[in-house]
Amino acid sequence: MTALLELTKISKHFGGVRALHEVDMAVHAGEVVALVGDNGAGKSTLVKIVSGVESPDEGEIQVRGEARRLESPRAAAEAGIRTVFQDLSLCDNLDAVQNLFLGQERYGPVWSGRRVRRHVMEEQAQRVLESLSVKLRALNTPVVALSGGQRQGIAIGRALISDPAVVILDEPTAALGVSQRGEVLDLIDRLRDQGRAVVVISHDMKDVRRVADRIVVLRLGSKVAEFARGGYTPADLVGAMTGAHESTNEGGDQ
Amino acid sequence: MTTTKTAATAPTASRTIGRAIETAARGHRSIPVLVVLAIIWAVFYSQSSAYLSFQNITNLTLQIVTTAILALGVVFVLIVGEIDLSSAVLSGVCAAVAAGLTVNHGLPLVVGIAAGVATGMVVTFVEAQIIMFGVPSLIVTLGGMVILQGLILVVLPPEFTISVAGTPFAKIASTAIPAGASYGLAAAGTLAYAAYRFFQHRERVSTGSLTSLATVLVPAAVVAVVLFGGVFTLTQQRGLPMPLLILAVMLLIAWYATTQTRYGIHMYAVGGDREAAQRAGIPVRRMVLYSFLILGACAAIAGMVDSSRQLGVSVTSGAGPLMLNAIAAAVVGGTSLFGGRGSIWSALLGALVIGSISNGVQLLGLSTEVQYFATGAVLIIAVAVDVVLTRGSLLPGRRA
Repeated sequence: MTALLELTKISKHFGGVRALHEVDMAVHAGEVVALVGDNGAGKSTLVKIVSGVESPDEGEIQVRGEARRLESPRAAAEAGIRTVFQDLSLCDNLDAVQNLFLGQERYGPVWSGRRVRRHVMEEQAQRVLESLSVKLRALNTPVVALSGGQRQGIAIGRALISDPAVVILDEPTAALGVSQRGEVLDLIDRLRDQGRAVVVISHDMKDVRRVADRIVVLRLGSKVAEFARGGYTPADLVGAMTGAHESTNEGGDQ
Repeated sequence: MTTTKTAATAPTASRTIGRAIETAARGHRSIPVLVVLAIIWAVFYSQSSAYLSFQNITNLTLQIVTTAILALGVVFVLIVGEIDLSSAVLSGVCAAVAAGLTVNHGLPLVVGIAAGVATGMVVTFVEAQIIMFGVPSLIVTLGGMVILQGLILVVLPPEFTISVAGTPFAKIASTAIPAGASYGLAAAGTLAYAAYRFFQHRERVSTGSLTSLATVLVPAAVVAVVLFGGVFTLTQQRGLPMPLLILAVMLLIAWYATTQTRYGIHMYAVGGDREAAQRAGIPVRRMVLYSFLILGACAAIAGMVDSSRQLGVSVTSGAGPLMLNAIAAAVVGGTSLFGGRGSIWSALLGALVIGSISNGVQLLGLSTEVQYFATGAVLIIAVAVDVVLTRGSLLPGRRA
């Protein structure tokens, strides 16, 4: 089976600093891969490269087996990769529907001044939110009035509007309380059930263990370990992240 | 589990209340200003019944036209999170260009008007470029204001004044649409609006969304009352004054653009969270530029209408309290200085509030300081309300 997203030997330098060194990673349909690592491990850089914010110095990115150059967030979106940023990037003053479709509105012809087809958007919004089991009292509620979990739901829903193959979630649970955290982890399960390739970046090992089918560990810009669900202990994970058990885990994924 | 939940929600109780206030106020942001307007009218009417006579209401609306048109442009700039201090003086420059071409050089009126609007848009285009380069709009337009005060001296002829009395230019303001035709316009407006609402209703029916004919009839009835009532009141003298029709048409276009189009959503998004808008692929800089171009056009139209009413352009055109009144009108009407919030109606309603105070003070022969005190107080109260709504809490907060 070809991977929906496949990274080969991705390297990136910032000046003299090596941010990423020959990182390989593959994500298949219906799979959740967690990307973990200590601060400065290169998680954010990798996310930025895959979401089109940064370009790699070297390496290849394939989406559905096709090599793609992701020169801008737009190019990444067109390739079928959508990213939910940690800050969610929602406009508080706009309502749920406007946020879900921000930048991807359904609108009429130019002579109508690109009149927004609100009813079409509302109908699709309803379907997307239902597929994620996000419940809102009203679609025209400004998102500032929503809970953290609901806001995360809107941000993920926005990523799904264009039906992407790959969804990247940057620290989706970092700002949430316990019950909302559970809600969001359920959301991620639903993305997997929809057959998407999901990449989750997280600091929280409990969340990672709960949601990930595979865990890719980055340390100092290199991939140091890869674990399948059930094939590791918490100590293995922490060891790989900090480098304490490097020798025992290295090559474990090969 | 339960304890965690309580602990998480308890400190935000005041925010929850604030959000409830905000949610209620958001959909009906015009209501506070309408209440203020009703209070002002009631107070002055209790002092003099002439205040709400047809003649005085017509006078009042004509007095606020310039401020309202300029405030409309300012609203567009405020919504994207910028500010402008130069557009009042710019309106004088545009009027000087337009009147100079038509009166002193004998060019057709259309050419003069086109040149005036073009001048306004060129100036705001340049300002917007500098703002997008990274200089704060407050500074760019403050400097722009001073430069434009110099420019108007250059544009005006050596005697520093252009009289437009008796010229086609004066007809912009002096033309009145006869009562019959005005009612025709009101009827056409009501029908067009009802047809538009009906079209939306049909769209909703076709996708099976919740809707009913009440979503057509109720708003259409409100519009009918406003339009026919307005025409009835304003045609008591000698027909509907042209400046009011110009303002009405501009408000109509602005309403459609800001609430019904993709452009409108993007404009509010840019004012609400610029980075989020950028990440969603919205051309932020272009949206800011559009707002300034619209302001330039509004300033030009305001200047031309005003000089046509005043029968001349001089160095004082666009000077005085016009700029601050236009900004105050937008803010009093409910447009946020922090961007992303407010509607185009705030221009009209805010200008009405400010105009109603000065008109009443003059009508009652009160001293000018009363007008200043009242206008200033209303402005501060309006911004205080805005701060509460933006922060979502009545409690004093940290300054962002």
